[in-house]
Parts: sequence; C-alpha cells; structure tokens
Amino acid sequence: MPAVLLEARSLTKRFPGVTALRDVSFDLRAGEIHALCGENGAGKSTLIKLLAGIHPHGSYEGELRLDGRAVGFHSVRDAEAAGLAVITQELALVDELSVAENIFLGRAPRRGLCVDWLAMHRRAAKLLAEFGLAISPEAPVRTLGIGQKQLIEIVRAMDKRSRILVLDEPTAALTAQEVAVLLDHLRRLRAQGTACIYISHKLDEVFALADRITVLRDGASIATLARAEVTVPLVIRHMVGREIAELFPRRILDGAAAPAPRSDQRGERAAAPVDPVLSVRGLTVAPAKNSPPFLREISFELRAGEILGIGGLMGAGRTELLMHLFGAWGRRLAGEVTLCGQTYPAPTPRESIARGLGLVTEDRKRFGLVLDHSVGLNLSLSNLGEFVRRPGRIDGSAEFRRNQALFDALRIKAPGQDARVGGLSGGNQQKVVLGKALMTEPRVMMLDEPTRGIDIGAKREVYELIRRLATDGRGVVLVSSELPELIGLSDRIIMLHEGRIGGEFAQGNFAQEKLLAAAMGHARAA
Amino acid sequence: MNAKLLRHLALPLALLVVAAFFAVKEPAYLGPRNLTQLVVEFSIVGTLALGMFLILLAGQIDLSVGSGVGLIGGIAAVLVFQRGWPAPLAMGAAFVAALGLWTAMGALIVRQRIPSFIITLGGLLVFKGLFWLVIQNSTVPVARGDAENLISRLTTYYLPAGVGLALAIGVVLALALLAWRGRAARAAHGLGAQPWGRVVARWVSVATAVVGLVTVFNAFRGVPVSLLVLAATAGAVFFLTLHTPFGRYLYAIGGNEEAAALSGIAVERVVVGAYALMGVVVALTGFMSTAYSGASTTTVGDLMELDAIAACVIGGTALRGGRGTVGGVLLGALIMTALLNGMTLLAVAPEIKFIARGLVLTLAVWADVRLGRR
Repeated sequence: MPAVLLEARSLTKRFPGVTALRDVSFDLRAGEIHALCGENGAGKSTLIKLLAGIHPHGSYEGELRLDGRAVGFHSVRDAEAAGLAVITQELALVDELSVAENIFLGRAPRRGLCVDWLAMHRRAAKLLAEFGLAISPEAPVRTLGIGQKQLIEIVRAMDKRSRILVLDEPTAALTAQEVAVLLDHLRRLRAQGTACIYISHKLDEVFALADRITVLRDGASIATLARAEVTVPLVIRHMVGREIAELFPRRILDGAAAPAPRSDQRGERAAAPVDPVLSVRGLTVAPAKNSPPFLREISFELRAGEILGIGGLMGAGRTELLMHLFGAWGRRLAGEVTLCGQTYPAPTPRESIARGLGLVTEDRKRFGLVLDHSVGLNLSLSNLGEFVRRPGRIDGSAEFRRNQALFDALRIKAPGQDARVGGLSGGNQQKVVLGKALMTEPRVMMLDEPTRGIDIGAKREVYELIRRLATDGRGVVLVSSELPELIGLSDRIIMLHEGRIGGEFAQGNFAQEKLLAAAMGHARAA
Repeated sequence: MNAKLLRHLALPLALLVVAAFFAVKEPAYLGPRNLTQLVVEFSIVGTLALGMFLILLAGQIDLSVGSGVGLIGGIAAVLVFQRGWPAPLAMGAAFVAALGLWTAMGALIVRQRIPSFIITLGGLLVFKGLFWLVIQNSTVPVARGDAENLISRLTTYYLPAGVGLALAIGVVLALALLAWRGRAARAAHGLGAQPWGRVVARWVSVATAVVGLVTVFNAFRGVPVSLLVLAATAGAVFFLTLHTPFGRYLYAIGGNEEAAALSGIAVERVVVGAYALMGVVVALTGFMSTAYSGASTTTVGDLMELDAIAACVIGGTALRGGRGTVGGVLLGALIMTALLNGMTLLAVAPEIKFIARGLVLTLAVWADVRLGRR
C-alpha cells in the first residue's frame, strides 16, 4: 500500500455559535484520488480552508501531518510551499493577463531586472503541450472557457511541483465534454504519483474517479470507504444519516412522520379546491441577455395556507428562482407566472412588494439589512408609504407603534428599536428581515435559507413563525439546504437539480434518501 | 463614555481652537464687522454643503458644483446686466437651467450606470467652459449701476435690528417647543427620556448663542439675509432627511444599496431626486456667491465643490454613504469658513491657503476612513 502523504487527525474547528468540524480524521495516500462527499454544510469547505491555510494553524484543534511530520500552515503560501495546491470554484487567475503570465504569476523567469518573456512563453508552451492543451501561451485568460481556466490552474499547480491537488467542485460549471477532459488529466496525474482530494456533489464523477470516498455529515467524518466496495445509494444513505438530527423541534417533526396535524383543514381544502395564489408554468430564465438559460421549464403551484419546500444542492438555482420571481434576477425567456390569479411579469422588487410578494433573502447582511441603521429603520423600510401624513411627512409615532408591535411579536432580543442592527445576533437579525417583509402583508412569502447561521433556539422560533404564516392563510415558499427543515415544515417539496425540477414529492413521501437522490439527478436510480 | 463624549465635543472644540487662534493673531477676527462677513461666507459654503450632504448620503459624489455655482450665477448676471431682465425673472431662468442640468446628470448616472465621480468630473469641466462662454471671460456685474436688485441684496441686505432680534427670540422659543415635544414623544413611547437638566442646558446654550450672535450682528448692520437662506435650506434638508420617506431612502441606499432595492425602494428615482435637489442648491449658492463678489467673474465658485465635500466629511458624513447629520454638516462648514476667513483676514498668501485647504480636506477624509472602520 502506498505511503500516507497527508493525514488529518481529530480536526475540530469552531466558529462562534457553530462547530463546523467535529473530530474529523482522514488520510491521503500518494497516487490516490480521495473524494470528499457530504451535503451542503457538512463541513467540506471548512476542511479545505483548513488544509489550504486559509483557517491558519492554531485556529483549530487537532493535527495535520505531512509525510509523517506534524505541520501547521499559517497562510496559503505556507500550504503551497509544502506542496499543496487548492483549486476552488473562484479561480485564482487574472483575467486580463496571458496564459503564460498566469502560469508564472509571481514567479516569472527573469533576465536581470526584466521579465524574460521568451523563456516564459517557451516554458509555458512546453507545459501546455505536456497537458495536451491546444492553447496559445499568449492568449489572454479572459478568452478561455471555465474548463480551460481550471486546467490552467492545474498546470500552474503542477509547475509549482505540488504533490497534493485539492479540487473543490471543479466540474460545477463545466460541460460534459470538459468534465471528461478534466477527469482524464486527473487520472494521468494520479498515475504519475500526484495525490488528489476531490470534492464534488456529482456522485457519478466521484464513482468514475475516486479510489476512496470519505463521507462528511454535520461536520463529522462518518465513513471512509473504498470505491469498489460501495454503491451510490449507500453513499447517499451515509450522507443523510439514518436518524434526523435531534436538534429539530419535535412537534414539527411529528408533522412529517405522522399524518399531517392539520388534516381537518386539508379535508376542507380537498372538498373545495382553492385557486393557487402563485402559479409558475414553464419558467425558463437566463442570467443575462445572450446567455444560455439557467433555470429551465420550472412549473409549480402554491395554494394559500400551503408551505412549498424547495431543496437542491448549491448552485441548483433555488436562490435564483426566488430572486427572479421577486423581480431581482435574470431575464425571462419563456414561461408564465400568475400571482393571485393575475399574470405577473415581475419587473422590479418594488412592484413585487406592491403585488403581495414578500422575500426574505439568503444573505441577510448583503441583501437584507442596512447594518449601520437601527432595528426600527430597517423594519419599516419597505413600508414607509403607509406612515406618510400631511404633505410628505412620516408620522413617527405611528411608525414607532407598528415597529414595536412587530418587535414584540417576533420577540427580537435587542435593547430597543433604536439598537443598531449590525450589533444583533444572527437570529435576531433574521427576525428583523422577516419583520420587514411581514410588515408589507404579503400574500405569498418566499424565504431563502431563513435559518442559516442562527442558533438553535432562534431556529425553533423561526420555524414557528413560518408555520404561523401558513396558518394565517399565506402561501409560503421555503428554500432550505437542510433536508430535515424541508421535511419538517413543508406540505410539498420540489428538489431542483441544475436549474430544472429534479423531483416533486408530496407529504408522506419525504424520505431523505429520495430527496437527495432527486437533488443529485438520480431520481430514478434511488 | 469618554470616547463618545470626545467625539461629540471634537467639532465644537476644533471650532473653538480655530477661532481662538485667529482671535489672538488678529482681534478684529471676532469683531462685528468680520463676524458678519464670516457668516455671509458661511451661508454660501454651508448651503452648498447641505446639497452635497444629500448626494453623499446616497453614496454618490458631485464634483461639478463649484463650476455650476459659477455658471448659474453667471447666467443670472448676464440676463440682468446685458439683457436687462428683472432680477427675479433672471434668477428663475438660471434656476430652471440648474434643475435641468442636475436632473440630466443624475439620470445619466443611474440609467447609464456611469460612476458619479466621472460624470460630475466631466460636469466640472463642461460647466466651467459653459460658464466662461456665457460671461465671455469678462466681469459681469449682478446689477446695473448702483441699483440694488434681488440678487445683489442676497449678500448686502441686513435685517433691521428689531426684526433680527424678534426673529432670534422666535427661533429660540420654537427650539424650546421642539425640545419639549421631542422629549414628550420619547417618554410617550416608553423610551428613555433625556434628563431635564441636559435638555435645558442644551437649550440655554443654543439660545445664548443665537441671541448673542444677533446682538453682535446688530452692532454692525444687522442679521445678513444670506443667513436666512442657509437657515431655510438647513430646515428643509433636516425635514427631508429625517421626516420623509425620500430622506430615509437616501440613508438606506447609502447604507446598503442592494438591500434598499430589494426592500422595494425605487433607487434610481431617489438618486435622480437627490441630484435635482443638488441643482436647486447650486442655483441658490450661485446667486449668493456671485452677489458676494459683486459680479460674475471667471473665478466665482472655484474649488467650492471641495469646500462643500470637506464640510460634510468634517461634520461626520460618511463618504461611503448612509451616515451623517445636518448639524454636523453645518458645523463642518462653519469650521471650514472660520479657517478660510481667518487666513484671508491675516492676508495669508493664496499659495499657502491652497495648501491649508488641501490639508484640511485630507485630514477630514483620513478621519472618516479611520472612524468608518470601527
């Protein structure tokens, strides 16, 4: 058996309020491709950042050993010097420079004080030829496709004599053909003795490539398996775990396992079907003019009082779908959206709010809040028109009372409405974003990862709020990466896969394995 | 607590230091004549700074206002002196021109997504050229002969002593009413109300300053009418920024433009509105500034954009947007004017004045960056 090159022993990484990695161990052998698998938030990114020196030595517990010696990387430079090259989805290439300049970025061959351009281009041409790449060393990187850019990064890593290649979702943006090329190169490098850590959501790639597979779940390493001994469904089962995390509130879980607690209402609805409050038919959306569609042929219906869960892996198009419905993303190429019985083209967020749509965005700090301002100013931001009296003046008292009512109802923990939002905890910030959307009295509330980065107590409160939204007769669209959350709250679940609907599931049919398989495009296999 | 107190007192202290320095060097600095002149200059810079405040709040910038002040004053002067229009009509025409130009600039910035820095830098040069074309590189008086008109009176008319004093007392009483109502409102909403001692102390100090100043003005010629223009502008901007949705939106856009747009704010419309208001302010400042020099000459408005930006930033307005107060801007403008006026009084060479202005601007922005990082 080849020697162990890199070993991770009991790595634990804590962030304020969250333990991202718990006692994770695994090892990487020379000439091996080792895949890391896990759901969103399982801890893969944290692990990579730790290996790459982005989370520096000392900020985590446990030990990293390279060639049998304990090592600690304090920066990305340290990791590179030790022979570790990390290639992430955000490529570290300078678009405006040439291929050769990028390969030798920061280490250009010199003659005296000048860059030796001839030597640089000659060496670059040689490297590219070794990789069988028909790319001119003088071509600007911006003219290359993403697949080629990724290969340029690999070429650079190889030229730096990296022994360990870490690839984080390298194929997320590649075409099938580019994927095949990349996999071939990786196999060739493996034959030459390079070790590779390969992270991908795409299990077929993992199975086509990896020698061993380590599954991460909830920040812990669950199992390391030899590829030859496992099957796709087995890996999926490891990824979701057999038991749902106990963190989830019991009362809500019952709703998923047992028949619906609101079965009486269901009965009424079944007797007199209500018109959907939101209906989407054949929606196809491109990110911008002249680009290929990203969301394809999405259709669903949402009734008043119903919670529709939308799941999917990172990059499946969940956030984009909500943002598009809200008028804040993309160009609609085809399809029709009907809101409360009327066709709705979704031109701007302003129009959407006026028409009864509410959106709680995923990245609350970037899209949801004016962090420097007070809780009160944020709560009423979408609704100021309601408080305008006499020529143009805001009635401060009316605004204050309205804010205070929400502040109390949502149980926002802050010294008062005039506290700065940026100083609150994640859970309370999330409540402010929710409150802002609630104040506009939406008929349809869309929630994008409403519990991301908030503590368990606050999660529970948010779950209760979501329930109440539906029982109040609103339609709720809930996007979440956490399957237990979707299962626990939703009446129906749609899993998106690469911009399409990968599967739709009715209540009672919410097995985690099936949902995850649909998200991975294995709807039939599972 | 001490750090917070220091931040609150930093500006008044700076003003005190500047005033003390010049008063020691030249006692006439604090005399009625110079103080009156200083206040006229303050009115001009302060008014422009209040317009700049709206622009900066939204996270934008406007470098064209100095040239604009010259241009708009120049248009009015040419219409009055060369065409013989009545002053109010000429001012109206120049005002409409300013409103049009600034609305157009705002529209270019938001519709074409060109950074405001570039558009208004272009505006700086274009308006300067237009200005010199309009006055044909000459000196155009704002009134014919020795006659006074609405423009020239902007900086030469003084309120009669009695009227000034009555106005001062009115303002002081109004402030008392506002302070009392504000406190009552806070108490009614169960918010911690400020102790009476502090409310009264603040009111007494402001009242003393207002009545004292008016007494000083009356010792010369009376309250300059330009101060009323500034006061009206300040009142309007104060109301706009704190009590209307438009003002809230400016703060929100400057604080987080993406969040503002997703909260349903018509970001483009609000920003264009801010530029349109800047046009109004440029027109007011243009009339006062040109009147103050007695005629439209090629140097009117030179570098005023930088004085206005410096005043805002000194007063705590964030260059990144979303933070600042009207009071701070006024204080910043006062410090700026006190400095410039003092140097003129001491007959400091223009080259040294340039350097001093540059250093103050740099210092203010440095402080903004440092404090903004908190």
